[in-house]
Amino acid sequence: MTLRVLTVDDSRTILAMLHHTLSNAGFEVLQAEDGKQGLDVLMSHDIDVVITDINMPVMDGIEFIKNVRASGQYQSLPILILTTETSQDKRDQGKAAGGTGWIVKPFDPDKLISVIHRVVH
Amino acid sequence: MEALSLREDNGDKTAVVGQNTLQLIAFSIGEQTYGVEITTVREIRAWNGATPLPNTRDFVRGVINLRGTIVPIFDLRARFGDGQTSPTKNHVVVVMSVGDKWVGILVDAVSDILTVSREDIHNVPEGNAIDTELLNGIITHDSRMVGLIDLHAVVNGAKLDG
Amino acid sequence: MSDLDDFKATYFDECSELMNELEEQFAAIEGGERDADRLNAVFRAIHSIKGGAGAFGFSGLVGFAHAYETLLDYVRDGRVEMTDDVVSLCIRANDIVGDYINAAQSGEELAADYGQEEKQRFDAIARGQRGGDEDEWSGEIIEEFDIEFTPVRVELAVDDGDVVEAVEAPVAAEPDTFDAPPMPVEPGHWEVRFTPYRQLYSRANDPLLLFRELAALGEINVRAILTDIPALSDFEPFGVYCSWEISLFAPDLTESAIREVFEFVDGDCSIEVVPLGHVVPPAAAPAPAPVAVVQPAKADENLMALTEDEVAAAPVRLVAEAPSAPVAAEPVAEEPALSFADLANEISASAPPRPVPQAAAPKPAAAPKPAAGGEGGEEGGNRAVGVQSIRVDLDKVDRVVNMVSELVITQSMLTQQMDENLRARYTELVRGLEVLAQTTRGLQDSVMAIRAQPVKSVFSRMPRLVRELATKTGKKIKLETIGENTEIDKTVIEQLSDPLTHMIRNSADHGIEDPEKRKSRGKSEIGTIRLSAEQAGGNILIIVEDDGNGINRERVLQLARDKGLVAPDITPTDEQIDQLIFAPGFSTADAVSDISGRGVGMDVVLSNIKKIGGSVHVRSWTGKGSRVTLRLPLTLAVLDVMLVKVGESPYVVPLSSIVETMQCSGAIFERVPSGGQVLQVRGEYVQVIDVAQRFGMHSNKAPDDRFVVLCESEGSQKVALVVDDIIGQQQVVIKSLEENFEQVEGIAGGTILGDGNVALIVDVQGLRVHQIHQNAA
Repeated sequence: MTLRVLTVDDSRTILAMLHHTLSNAGFEVLQAEDGKQGLDVLMSHDIDVVITDINMPVMDGIEFIKNVRASGQYQSLPILILTTETSQDKRDQGKAAGGTGWIVKPFDPDKLISVIHRVVH
Repeated sequence: MEALSLREDNGDKTAVVGQNTLQLIAFSIGEQTYGVEITTVREIRAWNGATPLPNTRDFVRGVINLRGTIVPIFDLRARFGDGQTSPTKNHVVVVMSVGDKWVGILVDAVSDILTVSREDIHNVPEGNAIDTELLNGIITHDSRMVGLIDLHAVVNGAKLDG
Repeated sequence: MSDLDDFKATYFDECSELMNELEEQFAAIEGGERDADRLNAVFRAIHSIKGGAGAFGFSGLVGFAHAYETLLDYVRDGRVEMTDDVVSLCIRANDIVGDYINAAQSGEELAADYGQEEKQRFDAIARGQRGGDEDEWSGEIIEEFDIEFTPVRVELAVDDGDVVEAVEAPVAAEPDTFDAPPMPVEPGHWEVRFTPYRQLYSRANDPLLLFRELAALGEINVRAILTDIPALSDFEPFGVYCSWEISLFAPDLTESAIREVFEFVDGDCSIEVVPLGHVVPPAAAPAPAPVAVVQPAKADENLMALTEDEVAAAPVRLVAEAPSAPVAAEPVAEEPALSFADLANEISASAPPRPVPQAAAPKPAAAPKPAAGGEGGEEGGNRAVGVQSIRVDLDKVDRVVNMVSELVITQSMLTQQMDENLRARYTELVRGLEVLAQTTRGLQDSVMAIRAQPVKSVFSRMPRLVRELATKTGKKIKLETIGENTEIDKTVIEQLSDPLTHMIRNSADHGIEDPEKRKSRGKSEIGTIRLSAEQAGGNILIIVEDDGNGINRERVLQLARDKGLVAPDITPTDEQIDQLIFAPGFSTADAVSDISGRGVGMDVVLSNIKKIGGSVHVRSWTGKGSRVTLRLPLTLAVLDVMLVKVGESPYVVPLSSIVETMQCSGAIFERVPSGGQVLQVRGEYVQVIDVAQRFGMHSNKAPDDRFVVLCESEGSQKVALVVDDIIGQQQVVIKSLEENFEQVEGIAGGTILGDGNVALIVDVQGLRVHQIHQNAA
């Protein structure tokens, strides 16, 4: 079964790199440029795992995760936080909001895939 | 205004030509035969007039529309200083690429495709200034003398002041 | 690595957008708008630049952006106040970031300490907020920087996991290493006791996956501890009752490798890792008791930790919760309590609107799916993302634009073919053609609108230029921009950057005076350059004005005479002198200055603008300032022209420059002493250019049968072109002559007529400029 990944980031570069890496690894990739778009996509598609940036316009990653978790439907949806933050801060905030794990940018393709497999059946 | 595409037709021939030989398209101006390397030729078309360009030398016959792009036409006879050609429908424009530009050369007729050895190319004898300027070399083929055209030189100095 | 190159191209594209965004935000911030939204936008821009830079190993950029970002973060959360000093430091920092990006793009190396001074100032400002912790602060920056970013891409690929672990493992591992002797009795044998808390599940972590990952480390034996499971009557569906003991063996297995598996659930569970041979204290009360009170309204837990069977058996999801829970793909697994009738309702609810059978169970599941509806989610596997804009390759748009342009021309050609005779006979056809004309025009406008962009994207590059020029010249210069939302074709915008840069340099270098001089003239010390854009009919006017010195006509004329551009016996008008600055090779700088010099003059501006079918005009007021106006076509694709004949050849004259046309027989010509001709129109004398004569072509028409095309290029004097015939108006697509040939004097380009022949576009302004030279010669 092809896993469907929703990637949410306001940086086109990061979206492009994620898309490339993930689709090469056989994932189906959907994209959104901020949390709000992310929610829209989530609601209209069956998503297996979400990768989201934290700093985004309109709706940031923390808000996005909170919104996702607030809906009963998505409690078991794995959400990975993309972060360049080394400070534990952002990571903790993301986790507190309901993030499953995190990926530190710049990410290595293999590592990215292995992290996804770590949170998805 | 039939356009004869040479590239496809001669694809096979080009492939068997070794490194030491080259293929030329030979064309004539009066009694003279000249040649250009076949790989530079894009197409050959019958003369169908050209829009004259002001402020250019007499060997610039003007510009034509080649599938939506504007291509200048050079009168090779005039370029060699023998006066302008009075072209008819039987005259021929050889379109070729020079660097990243496409240009057309007005000649009397296309005569042949020649395969020659690089070793047979001789230097242009000193003497005629225009010949030495515009030719890369001279080849004898079937006892005919063929001048190898230096395309860059031909298209240079087109402007009136230049 | 063409993929990498693609990503880089995307990255640099994005950077240039972000730099524009920064420029824009700071223009507002400088103006006093220091609200949170702007600061957040600035922070995000720098953050994104840093993020991408990290991916490509641009370590200099990463380092600088990181320090800058830290400062912005402090500003954002109020720890540092956004004073004017901080603002100007940030603006300077933007420039440095821009330099780093440019260097990265061109593959140049910047000095290792580039921007160091600013970086230190960031640190100093931020440190000021930290009170005494100076050492710790600078330590932090270096440490973060080294750990996270200094490793280049390739190294990170290998070390990433270890790097993260290096930060965290010591802290996490400490208690155990103190409790237990570090030497395991049987090397490689480990015992893990794992007790998840509720929040582990609420973050969608899953013990099963953790075990799977552990299993990848070596031999594994997992035992579930089920002793805490209560009687069914006490069973709380979202309670956490299960914990596990795991034995692990692998020859080189280390504690940190095991702990790494639990990286994401750190804090959400209790983990004990001990080497085999050490007694694990029996379920030593893990900190917070997992038996929390369940709040039914927010039943946030999931049951994924249980086996599939258990899931199926569990009394699932409270009915009350259903309305807020749109149906997922697996209603059977998730909601086994549903009846088949409910299920049928669910399915029909997700199909196109259909009345819901009222007979259904009381469960309000029949409520229409919120939001999931209209988006097209029903089309199964639909990937469309719910966004309002799409990104399209410019090539594709260009192809459409070109085709529409050709269509417009074909249409106008068809219309021309309709003579009176045909019109009378085929009224339906005529009507059809009229509709076609309207539709094509509409289509053309819509397509052009796709490619239109606000001039902002070029304008926003200018503030930095002005700042740099001010620094270099020691002058005080302020830049005002007006109308930056004016839209213009993207291809025109691309051609605009160089001319604008040049014009602004010219203003700063030659126009604006030194502060002292300005003061002595009673002007403000700060010179103003005003950059504005406005639409005027089918054209866009871009105006660069300054309140400086104005053109020094004496010097311009002297230089022009020295260079032989103007004959000694000719006295040009002021306006003619002003236009001389566009003459090829003309440069007014006494010495080639570092700024506008470099051996190129305003002629570059003129030729660039002419290339895109525009014109340039300059006006100057001595001691008060000067104004350069660029008149640009709204689009490059289609030009409205008058088709004329010169000799036997077709020429076209841009309609925008034509004032009127008349037959020569009705025009009044007069000779001037120099031998030239002038035309008298309504009391005005206008220079006459016989195009055939000027282009060296033969006209075989009687003088009286020829025509006058009276032209006026932007703001300058009129000129009367004499042509042999006027054929009519039409639209043409501009084609370049230079693509396969070279620029020809007096010709602005070519175009292809309906009959397939090439017509040349007359360069009205170029003819006039040339005329001045000819007079001089």
